[in-house]
Formats: sequence, structure tokens, C-alpha cells
Amino acid sequence: MENPEPQPSQELDPPSILVCDDDPSLRELVRAVLGPRYRFLEASDGKEALAAMRELSPDLIVLDVMLPGLSGIDVLEAMRADDELSGMPVVVITAWSHAEVEAWTAGADRFVSKPFDPDELSDAVEELLA
Amino acid sequence: MTLAGRMWIASAILAALVAAAFSALILAVGAQRSATIREERSNDVTVATLQLEKLVVDLETGIRGFTLTTEERFLEPYEDARRVLPSQIVTVQRLVVDDPQQRRRARLLAQQINEYIGDYAMEVVDIVRDTPAIRGQPLLLDEGKQRTDQIRALFKEFLTTERRAADAAARVAEDRADRAVLIGGVGIAASTLLIVLFGVILARSIARPVRAVASGASRVAAGELSLRLPTDGPGEVGELTRAFNDMAGRLEEGRAELEEQNEKLRESERMKTELVNIVSHELRTPLASVLGFTALLLKREFDAPSRRHYLGIVDAQARRLAALLEDFLDMQRMEHEGLDLDTERVDLASLLDEQAQLYSAQSSKHRVEVALEQRPLTVRGDPNRLAQVVGNLLSNAIKYSPEGGVVRLAAERHAGGIRVSVRDEGLGIPAEQQGRIFTKFFRGDAAATGITGTGLGLAVSREIIEAHGGRIGFDSDAGAGSTFWLELPDASQEIAMTNTKETL
Repeated sequence: MENPEPQPSQELDPPSILVCDDDPSLRELVRAVLGPRYRFLEASDGKEALAAMRELSPDLIVLDVMLPGLSGIDVLEAMRADDELSGMPVVVITAWSHAEVEAWTAGADRFVSKPFDPDELSDAVEELLA
Repeated sequence: MTLAGRMWIASAILAALVAAAFSALILAVGAQRSATIREERSNDVTVATLQLEKLVVDLETGIRGFTLTTEERFLEPYEDARRVLPSQIVTVQRLVVDDPQQRRRARLLAQQINEYIGDYAMEVVDIVRDTPAIRGQPLLLDEGKQRTDQIRALFKEFLTTERRAADAAARVAEDRADRAVLIGGVGIAASTLLIVLFGVILARSIARPVRAVASGASRVAAGELSLRLPTDGPGEVGELTRAFNDMAGRLEEGRAELEEQNEKLRESERMKTELVNIVSHELRTPLASVLGFTALLLKREFDAPSRRHYLGIVDAQARRLAALLEDFLDMQRMEHEGLDLDTERVDLASLLDEQAQLYSAQSSKHRVEVALEQRPLTVRGDPNRLAQVVGNLLSNAIKYSPEGGVVRLAAERHAGGIRVSVRDEGLGIPAEQQGRIFTKFFRGDAAATGITGTGLGLAVSREIIEAHGGRIGFDSDAGAGSTFWLELPDASQEIAMTNTKETL
């Protein structure tokens, strides 16, 4: 997990997004797509992601389904069972299109399938944070 | 001894016993018949003898009457008896011809009768005829009485002997008959007993083992293939149980073979599934990066340094894809065609230096240290393949020590070969996974801990090293790092020899 640099800002703090993916290049892709308007937190597995949610209360979570250890679906279920985390919006990304139903059932707010169109992800995130 | 042999012997003994019993019975009947014949002959002898005796009495009566009366009519019985006597004597002699003692007596009897007639009777008749006055002279009669008394005694002796001989023969015959009946009875009883015994033995020595084999066969049919029967039965029964055991053994081997093949099939099925999972994850992950970044670069404007950075990521991910494909293809090629090595003299020392440099540049958290005992360290091999193996080992050492640390690459002469080792301070290999480390697609806990890879590197490396006539292995404790090593034949000496030849 990379701790976010505390970003001093003149106006409002930019919204924070927790990017959870085991592949560093995909985390970087998400950062590049969403651009400098957001503050990014990163986690490379499910356990790290849940810990980061509890400690840092991000405004939104971008979650990959295929994670080592706890899968993205496991993470969603753990969030829904936790009052503190159940309200956080989640965009689920996966290369497995058949995981979509599972993701919806577990309480995903948006679903983006890999490889994704940059605008699709940006739109989903903007909608949820609006 | 074979069972058939035993049965032959038992049958022969039984047949002999039955034959002996019947012979004894036949002997008994024969003895009785000979006794009867003997008795009949005795009767004949007695009758003939009594008739002879009566003739002698007639002789004497005739002579007496004539001597007392001188009347010729009194001589009639004498004359009649004289006519018949010779043939009667012959009859008696014929009847006792088998008995030497009686034959002697009969001869004596005949002689005395002839003497009676010749020496006495005929002379008395002549004297009385010549001098009738002499009639009634006691002297004449006394000699006749004396002679007939002698003849009578002889007759008595003859008849007594005959009776005694007949009685003895009858007793012997009776004894023999009794003994024969006893032997026959005992023989038949013994045969009966033996036949029953034979049946019991047959039942025990054949029927019982055959039943055991039959029940064994149904148990084997029910799947109990490890069943073996005791093979200590006699002859053919032993052969039968041995054949049965051979059959069960073959069946068991066959089943084990089938199970083994089944296991292999399941294993290959499992590997296929594994391959599909690996392709879906290991190939799709870098592909997602490549496609995502190219889409991003096509859609949006970035400044030059960002663009360069993103293109760098695309390049690295595309290379990762190419490397994965290369691994798959290598494995495929090795499985189908074997390795095609471009063998030449390789200085392992410089090869190791290059690989160490290459990999230390790839990770900032790791330090790659090289410790080479001597230079040059020469082997015969394919430099690209050997570099691939060393690269695999270094890449693994880095990947499996996620906290960073020192990776030590060393090489030394060892037991006639050159030993290269790569030591890391990483996760190590749990004991229960150590046996499968070189298995294709085996990745231990790598997937769960987020370590990427195909699970092909070590399998490919082993193929390469073994194709070079070397060995590859490892020592590891979970949590205490691993040391992977490989040994190749030392070719330094060979080069020296080649050089010597060349200078000659």
C-alpha cells in the first residue's frame, strides 16, 4: 500500500479514490484515466483494501475482482456487512464478464469490464461522486 | 507327487485288494470242490476194496468147502472169484495210483492174494483131488486161515489208511476254505472301507480346494483383487491355486495400471484447466494494461514526458506478454520435439556476470551479488539457453523475496563439474510443496500472494539443464529463503586438450 501524499489544496480537498488491483500497471492506468482531479490511495490485495477503507475513509473505491487472497467479491461482501463501509460507492473492474452478476449481487454500484474504455471509467466515477 | 499319480496309486491298491479278495473266494470254492472229489474217490476206493475183500472171502469159502467135502460144487465160489479177481485188483490199484503208500499196499495185497491162490489154494485143490482121503485135515485148513488172516489184516490197514487220508484231506480242504472265506470277507470289508476313505480323501484334497478357488474367484470378481490363496495343495490343486494367484496378480497389476493411467489423465486434465486459468489471468492482465493505455493515449492529450512514461508501460507489458508466449512455446516445443541446442564452448563466468547485471537493474529493492571462485569456468552448451535458465533462477529469487534483500549468485568447481547457485532471502518453499516445484504450471502460493508467472520457468529450466547432461535442484526452508543450484560438466579440461591438439 502506498500512502498518499497529503495534498495541500487551496479550495476543497480533492475526492479520494482507493484503487485496488494486484497489478501495479493497472493501478497506474486507473490513475492516468481519472487524472489529477483526484487523490489516489492504492491497495494490492483485499485485506489491504479493507484496512485502507477503515483507516482512510476514501470517497470511492475502484475494485478489481481478481485479487489474490480475498477476491473483489469477498471484499464487497465484507463491506456490506460493515456499517461503516456499506455506504461507500464501488466501481468493480474485471476481465471476467461473468463476474458481473456476482458483483451486482454483492452490491457493486458500477461495473466496468477490462479492457475498459477510459471514458467509461471516468463517467462512472464522476456519476458516483456527483 | 501329482494328484493324478496319487489317484492312480490309490485305484491300483483298491483293484489289487478287490482282486485278492475274489481270488481268496475262488480258492475257497476250488478247495471245497477238490475236497469233494477226494471224498468221492475215497468212497470208490473203499467200495472197490470191500468188493475185493468179498472175492477173497469167496476164495477161502470155496477152498474150505471143497477141502471139507471134496465135492466139486463147493469149488464154484472159488472158481468165480478167481475169474473176477485180476480185474478187481487192477481197479483198486488204478484208484490209488496217486497215493504211493496205498499203491505199495495194493501191490502187496495183490501179491498175497496171488500167493494164496498160487502157493496154497491150487495146491490144496490138487492134493484133495488126488487124495480125497485127506479131506478135513486141519493142517490144510490152518495154512489157509493163516494166509487169509494176513490178507484181511492188510485189507483192514488199507481201508483205515484210506479213511484217514480222506479225513485229513477233508480237514485240510475245510481249513483252506475257512481261511479263504475269512481272507475274502476281510478283503471285501477292507476294500469297502478303502473306497469310502478314498472318497473322503478325494473330497478333502480336490473338492475342498476347488471350492476355495471357486469362492476366491467370486471374491476376485467382486473386486477383491489382492486376494491370494494358499498354494501348498498337492499336485494339480497346487497348480490350480498358483494359476489362480497368477491370474489375480495380473488382474491387480492391470487395475493398478489402469488407475495409474486414469491418474495421469486426471493430472493432464487438471493441467489443461490450469493452463486455461493461467492464460485467462496471466495473459489478460498485461493485455488489459496494453489496451487500456493505448486507448487512453489515443483519446486524450498528454504532455511528452507522460506520453513517454505510458508508452514505456505499454512496451513493458507487451514484452511481458511476449515472454509468456515464449515460455508456452518453449514448453510446447520441448514436449514435442525435444530441445535443439546450439552447443559451443561457453564461459559461464561472463554469462553469469551479464545476467546479474541485467536483473539487478530490474529491482531497486534487491541487490544481486556475484561470487565467482575462478575464471574462466567453461562448459559446453547453448549460451542462450543457459542464460535463460540463470535468468529464470534470478527472476524467481527476486519475485519470491518480496521484501527485497540480497540475491547471491555463485559458481565453483564441484565434484568434476561446475556448480552455479542462486541464493535468496525470501519466502522459501514449504516442505509439502518441494516435491512439485519442477512440475509444469505449479506455482505454490504465488497466485495467492500476487506473484506473477506462468509456473513454467523451472520446468523449462530443468529440461534445458538435463539436455546439457547436468542436474538442477534446490535446498530450502519455508521462511528462510531458497538456494537453487545447477551442475554442468566441466569443459575446461576438454578445451585444454583441444588446444594441445591444435598446437600439435
